[in-house]
Amino acid sequence: MKHAVIDQALFDRTVNAIPEDALTGLRSRAASGFAKSGFPTPGDEDWKYTNLTPAVSLSNDWLSSVGESPDFRSAAGLDAVKKIDAYWVVIENGQITLDSQMFPDNLSATLMSEGFSDGDIAADDAMTRFNAALLRDAVKITVAANTTLDRPIGILIRDEAAKKSLVTQSRVVINIQENANAKFIEAHVSAGAGEHFANNVVQMNIEAGANASYVRLQNRARHHIQTNKLSASIAEGAVLNHCAFDIGGLLVRNDLIIDLHGKASAVTMSGLYLAGDEQHIDNHTRVDHQVGPSTSREEYRGILNRKSRCVFNGKAIVHKGADGTDAQQSNHNLLLSGDAEIDTKPELEIYADDVKCSHGATVGQLDESAIFYLRSRGLTKDAATQLMTRAFAQAVIGMNPVAEAQDFVSAAIDARLDSLISDAHHE
Amino acid sequence: MLEIKDLNATIGETQILNGVSLSVRAGEVHAIMGPNGSGKSTLAQVIAGHDDYKVTGGTVRFMDEDMLDLEPEERARRGFFLGFQYPAEIPGVNNAYLLKAALNAKRTYNGEPEIDAFEFLKLAREKMKLLDMDPSFLNRGVNEGFSGGEKKRNEILQMAVLEPRLAILDETDSGLDIDALKSVANGVNALRAADRAVILVTHYQRLLDYVEPDFVHVLSNGRIVRSGDKSLALELEEKGYDWLREAKSA
Repeated sequence: MKHAVIDQALFDRTVNAIPEDALTGLRSRAASGFAKSGFPTPGDEDWKYTNLTPAVSLSNDWLSSVGESPDFRSAAGLDAVKKIDAYWVVIENGQITLDSQMFPDNLSATLMSEGFSDGDIAADDAMTRFNAALLRDAVKITVAANTTLDRPIGILIRDEAAKKSLVTQSRVVINIQENANAKFIEAHVSAGAGEHFANNVVQMNIEAGANASYVRLQNRARHHIQTNKLSASIAEGAVLNHCAFDIGGLLVRNDLIIDLHGKASAVTMSGLYLAGDEQHIDNHTRVDHQVGPSTSREEYRGILNRKSRCVFNGKAIVHKGADGTDAQQSNHNLLLSGDAEIDTKPELEIYADDVKCSHGATVGQLDESAIFYLRSRGLTKDAATQLMTRAFAQAVIGMNPVAEAQDFVSAAIDARLDSLISDAHHE
Repeated sequence: MLEIKDLNATIGETQILNGVSLSVRAGEVHAIMGPNGSGKSTLAQVIAGHDDYKVTGGTVRFMDEDMLDLEPEERARRGFFLGFQYPAEIPGVNNAYLLKAALNAKRTYNGEPEIDAFEFLKLAREKMKLLDMDPSFLNRGVNEGFSGGEKKRNEILQMAVLEPRLAILDETDSGLDIDALKSVANGVNALRAADRAVILVTHYQRLLDYVEPDFVHVLSNGRIVRSGDKSLALELEEKGYDWLREAKSA
């Protein structure tokens, strides 16, 4: 299959043009690694349904114009999400600002530009290498052992492409020490009419007995391209509850990679994607049960309208000896249009004997008899549709483990559902 | 209140209603009986505005308005209520939420203010007591996991809260035990008033022991073949429906 590739000469020129700083060695190593692989293509099994050609073209365009420094930190910044009472880390066009003097003693955040070791930065696949090769800064967040953070940590990733094309990288490294408890809100927004591609990476290490709750809301502009990867390593007795909402963007790919390597470790992965127009949202999740007993719960739901296309791929690997694994997965989809398309695929690989695994996927339309029933009680067709889709989405909204973000998330979803449903009448 | 003239309706290529005419005045209770497949449920669904059915002739006027021009929700807001034979299950939509939304849709149409949460709960609890229903019903998903009897009681609860001008109850009595049947009858009798009307669509005369109809009609092959008072229901119970067909063909 023919596909666009990154212009290597432009790429090298750009990486080398970044002034020497604490990240130079990292960039150079990652760049040579990236040179060998390039971007993933639909020829790669994991990228079968998601073609990054638009991201490659945009990147080439941006690489050819580098040198013109992008216009960061517009006054319009800091959106409604920052009203949530949290310890904020703000990443705007790849530049990181911390209100670290506001942080309590059990929370530390350091910037790579100010000295944390680049050994903490993973660059082990095409997109993380691309990320590391062009990285301007990274932040490392540590929650101290045996403590509970009194507020969530907020990570606001905001990009603005004023006129021209823009490519940005963000990297967040999180370490939750033994028996600590922390909550996270990751919010993605974008502004500006320019073409834009953001490549975000989060690395989490959750030590023994620690507990992390994490909600991610991606509400990007409808012309935005994004690749997003969160990998989490979960130790003995540790728990991650991750909930993801994708309601914006044009071409979006999320990878959620969970490594359950400690006994009695557990992960919950929930997600909701709302896609209309010609949006493409791809969620790939992978959980490795290295030891047992360990538990994974996964529920993703999607509502698709118009010519949108979504992908769900949930992989669970139960390694040899991981007896006592309990892995359950489901993916449910509601198609509001005959032109929308979902590719859903569970993948189970089981190499242990004593395991409990289940998966189920459904694709359906709104129940017309239920719509008529609601109308016969005086609700308009739109109100009936809104009520039914909201109820479908509620199963995931209700799983959001960060209460502080709930109103913000609900409002964003209600607004998106409204526009998604009114889209239905323009077909 | 309701004036049906020579109503013809089809579903797909199949003609189901072949010229139904029926006149219902305020204060009356009518029973429509008939064998399976006679068109009873179709008649109810057409009056409610289900778009699977196509009206190919005739008129339906409700409160001096052409009903067939109205959307289903517009019919409901004007005071029409259909108790479904098979009420839809709507997982995740709270029963109380739907009741309140339905009531407010009607109040808004009538130029009344929306009901507040406190008044609504008071009203709903009062109606549930009348129907001998557990208050926990309100917090469940609409018909979600309800037994057949619970679904029918829930229909009557909606009717009791919405207080329609005209209610058609489509086989609300089928599959009910005697206690549930009495509760349903209580609900219907409580609604009886000089300015309201009720049409009971039923296969059996059982419900009519508890709700006494003013008129009984027999529907067969998509038209009303016989009308009478409540003694007609007893006659049907005794003789079945076959004698009507014989009488007709004779």
